[in-house]
Amino acid sequence: MSSKSQAAQAGQALWAKMPKANAELFALTYGSLVTELVRDYEDPIEVNAQLDRIGHSIGVRCVDEFLSKADVAGMGLTTQCQNLRDTAEVVAKMGFKMFLGIQAEVGAFSQDQRCFSIYLQDNPLSTFVELPEDDPSGGEDLRRLKYSNLYCGVIRGALEQVNLKVDCNIVRDTLKGDELNEIRVELKEVLADGAGDDYKEE
Amino acid sequence: MSSPILFVIVGKNEPLFEAEIDTYTGTTGGNDLSTRQNYFVLHSALDLVEKSAWTTNSMYLRVVDKVNHQQVSTFLTAGNIKFMLLHGGKGEEVVRSFFNEVYGYYVKLSMNPFYKYDTPITSLAFENRVRAAARSYLS
Repeated sequence: MSSKSQAAQAGQALWAKMPKANAELFALTYGSLVTELVRDYEDPIEVNAQLDRIGHSIGVRCVDEFLSKADVAGMGLTTQCQNLRDTAEVVAKMGFKMFLGIQAEVGAFSQDQRCFSIYLQDNPLSTFVELPEDDPSGGEDLRRLKYSNLYCGVIRGALEQVNLKVDCNIVRDTLKGDELNEIRVELKEVLADGAGDDYKEE
Repeated sequence: MSSPILFVIVGKNEPLFEAEIDTYTGTTGGNDLSTRQNYFVLHSALDLVEKSAWTTNSMYLRVVDKVNHQQVSTFLTAGNIKFMLLHGGKGEEVVRSFFNEVYGYYVKLSMNPFYKYDTPITSLAFENRVRAAARSYLS
């Protein structure tokens, strides 16, 4: 489809213009963030929730940057997403490409077109990472930790700003032995545009 | 005549990793008595490692101790972690290449945010890689 390759090309162009950071520094910084959270909260489920919150803050800011830069790259407001499929393509081909430089694929659209999956072949956040084995002395089971849960928060936060309320989950993770990383995104509702009751005119 | 090779990584206070490699089969083996003796020999060489560390700039300290027919070679990492190899007279260059490869794996391991510096190494992946390197370089 032409929109797919258009998104991919625009993604390439945007990535070329972004300032770059050292990949190892990035991965190691995220690694220390996660281990610090693990030390503080100890419960892996709680750590997942915290990573999601952090990702949410990041996503809210990323989407503004994306929309401002995409305008310049020719994927502006005139080519708005018509449906969830377009949104998925934009998130995967342009969003992930622009901020992380990685190729992400979309797939597994559900029957009612309200769910889709994003597939990541390689995950820059988990370079060098190996989840520790079960600790027999009773330490927390880090197998329940979703190391890349930040991505879920970012997608959730970014789509919230464009009035799409979604739920994101990591369903497959290379750190747990799967061949690729899969993030499942489900549309919960399309929010009505509004500034809330506080701003209603008298 | 089997000469099992003993490879130990020693941190500041305790051994972090041990692997006994039987070069004929590539697996752990050997009877208990010689194993214990080997460990003793290796640990008694630790003082000599400290001494020879002062004599050279490089990380590879070559042979620091000779006992009976066995030699202890050592490699000192930048973080003062000692890789020690007890062997029956392998060539210096072969041992140097082995140490360099293990050093590469050790650095990758230490980049894992879940691995704390100077703690015992439990990663199976690391152990498999070390054994593979030993098989290719030291037999």
